[in-house]
Amino acid sequence: MNTEATNLSEKKDFLVRSSSLKDVRSFSREVFEKFKIDENLREELVLAIAEAAQNIVKHAYKDYPDTQDRMAVRISCTDKELEIAFFDKGKPVEESKVKHRAIDDVKPGGLGTFFIQEIMDSIKFKEGDKPWINNLVLTKKL
Amino acid sequence: MTYKVTDEGDTSTVFLDGEIDMDKTEGAKEVIFPLIDAGKNVNLNLSNVQYMDSSGISVLIESHQKALEKGTKLIVKDVSKSVLKVIMMAKLEQILNLE
Repeated sequence: MNTEATNLSEKKDFLVRSSSLKDVRSFSREVFEKFKIDENLREELVLAIAEAAQNIVKHAYKDYPDTQDRMAVRISCTDKELEIAFFDKGKPVEESKVKHRAIDDVKPGGLGTFFIQEIMDSIKFKEGDKPWINNLVLTKKL
Repeated sequence: MTYKVTDEGDTSTVFLDGEIDMDKTEGAKEVIFPLIDAGKNVNLNLSNVQYMDSSGISVLIESHQKALEKGTKLIVKDVSKSVLKVIMMAKLEQILNLE
């Protein structure tokens, strides 16, 4: 852990699998505990992180369910802002296609991105630096 | 996720347990859907479910819609505070039968 001033950062990688999602949540909860993030915020942040990780499994690796690739999650925190970055080597994200369903059109699916938008303050899709293909960055003011 | 099912007349109560995410939804559907298909009313007790993501919410919507189609009723009971927060975020508290 980097403990310079009030900047904290933790990073961990996970096999790209739906079975990894519980490990992503455990990691996030441990980090939020360590960073002393407001308890009222923690579970919704865990949900946003898990939804973003789920999107990597479901969409970036849609055609590769048995991949051995790993995705990385980095949680960084200052006094004022939390930044959560995701890195994967899957299919490049087409930002124009990332949208949630209309919330009053009640049907299964299409809510993950909506939850992320509701919980976080900003969502940015970036090209990943090698070896990564995708780099999603979520931020939340504290 | 673990589960238990109890029957009373034409109503089955399904007690789900643990965290319901993308990895657990097929298991949940395999328990709930056959009951609805058999014409049972289903009480879904979520008191021991501490976490549910969008995949779990999809199971609730799908089960609710399936019950409507079959002319039965799905009631979502004893929802934990954390799961209720997610249901409300999805604006489903007026759609699902919550008790």
